[in-house]
Amino acid sequence: MRRRDQKLFIATFLGPPLALYAVFVLIPAFNAFRYSLLRWDGLGKPTWIGLANFQKILARGSDFLPALYHNAFLTVVPGSIILVLALFFAYVIHQRIKGARLFRIAFFFPNIISSVAIALLWILIYSPGGAGLLNNLLKSWFHRTQPIAFAESSHLLWALVPMIVWSATGFYLVLFLAAMENIPESFYEAARLDGASSAGLFRHITLPLMWDVLTTGIIFLIIGGLKFFDAIWVMENGRPSPNTHTMSTLMYSKVFEEYNIGYGTAIAVLLFLLVLLATLISRRLLTRERLEY
Amino acid sequence: MTDALHRIGSGFKYALLVAYLAAVVLPMLWVVYTSAKSTQEIYQNPFGLPKVITAPNRQSAQTLAKNYNKAWIGSHFSRYFLNSLKVVGISLALILLFGSMAAYVLARFEFFGRGFISTLFLSGLLIPMQLILIPLFFQYSDMSEWLTKAFSPVTQSLHLGRAVFSLHDTHAGLILIYVAASLPFTVFVLTAFFRTLPNEVREAAMLDGASEYRIFFSVMMPLGKPGLVTVAIFNFLGLWNEYLFGLVFLNSDELKTLPLGLASISMQAQYKSDFGLLFAGLVIAMLPTLLVYIFLQERLTRGITVGALKG
Repeated sequence: MRRRDQKLFIATFLGPPLALYAVFVLIPAFNAFRYSLLRWDGLGKPTWIGLANFQKILARGSDFLPALYHNAFLTVVPGSIILVLALFFAYVIHQRIKGARLFRIAFFFPNIISSVAIALLWILIYSPGGAGLLNNLLKSWFHRTQPIAFAESSHLLWALVPMIVWSATGFYLVLFLAAMENIPESFYEAARLDGASSAGLFRHITLPLMWDVLTTGIIFLIIGGLKFFDAIWVMENGRPSPNTHTMSTLMYSKVFEEYNIGYGTAIAVLLFLLVLLATLISRRLLTRERLEY
Repeated sequence: MTDALHRIGSGFKYALLVAYLAAVVLPMLWVVYTSAKSTQEIYQNPFGLPKVITAPNRQSAQTLAKNYNKAWIGSHFSRYFLNSLKVVGISLALILLFGSMAAYVLARFEFFGRGFISTLFLSGLLIPMQLILIPLFFQYSDMSEWLTKAFSPVTQSLHLGRAVFSLHDTHAGLILIYVAASLPFTVFVLTAFFRTLPNEVREAAMLDGASEYRIFFSVMMPLGKPGLVTVAIFNFLGLWNEYLFGLVFLNSDELKTLPLGLASISMQAQYKSDFGLLFAGLVIAMLPTLLVYIFLQERLTRGITVGALKG
């Protein structure tokens, strides 16, 4: 009796969450692979076309490859600046300097503002129309009267670099700082007795011992860069140009504006595979590193 | 000599920290005080303090009031705000309930298929939302049709006419996907948390004759509070700021959440030069997260490695 009660308990507790998750996440995720093999306008009868969507996507001159390149740009350029800044700030703050708490709290804050609000904030910073912070600074410092359209589509990706660095550095700073605080002080003391310089301490103790957190950070940056959508969508008024499309914005436009459901979903499938690949590679790197200890 | 070098070095570090602090904080301060200026004032004196501060009188206070009134009432920010509260509030309650139910069972009971179900939830952490977006859009059409058909005998017998059930352009549709998509992260964190709770409490309650349900709701849930709070904070921030799903599933203006409303005023040409409104709207959108942050920043930054998985 008791056992049957327990079975019923397990079923009633696991049933509803599992059903929700299966219906609204697993089934659509599975269907995405099916959709990516169809030609379909969303209304009529879908046609099975095998891997033709993927062939078209990866063909020379497709609109996907520039979008993929934009994602890579938005990962690598701001990402490397973020890594350097976050490591530097974490290292400095870790040395128990005055105001460490204030710096940490303030630097982290942009990370929790919504990406739409951040986009609007930077629209206002870049604005060429009278209120723009940067153009007004240029005017009062260099007497430049001709306003510059910083966020113009043709160079919007470059304009996004400071925005991404501004919004994300604090997160990685806190992540790295936590890792540095986990390293026992005695390691440093022993090395200092051996006459190691502070640069040497950083290279030979801090970096190797926080290697797994660093790798995790890089993976977050890559995944974030692969999924990039909100800011471009808002700054381009929902109509990104070939200069600014990322995989996600291209997917959206293909499906909801061109009614090319198969092609759009095939982009989503490739996006998923890239995220998966990044995660698997990092797992590999992490386990290999651990074996060395 | 080395001492002097050291001092220069640390001065340099401080200068960089302070410069970055300025870069982070000043734009936000600029937004806050510019929101008290009229568009004309912004044009004439882009960096000066608003007249409300330099010359506080009825007229300059009216400028401030006008901007916020235009955003809050005229551009429906009050409505977007309430919609966000409703959607995120209901979603959070369901996420915590369902997430802790599943996590508790997976953490504390041995049964056939446990490993498989755990892996199933865990694999959700790898699925980008972009993958499920499009199939879900069409699935919602099918489900709405099916629901309407399934319930038509009931609504007809109650003389409610032909009721139409829809998951498109309804808060229910958005809440369902928010809850389901948040479960992998929530179950993952809470399973680890429930594993750490002592077994003695549960055994003692059992000896007192409490049922499993009672043990869960009156013993385990209260004990699990720290874990639930952490999960709630990260889910709150994620959902409060969510844009893509809202964009796809909500069309009517009266249903929009805060990020959607903010995006639509920043994208509409008619508002492009109404800077007073844009600044005020931005402040309204940033304020709730700022408040949450001030009260919970310690917990947030401590739980960072956990929260990182949420992305």
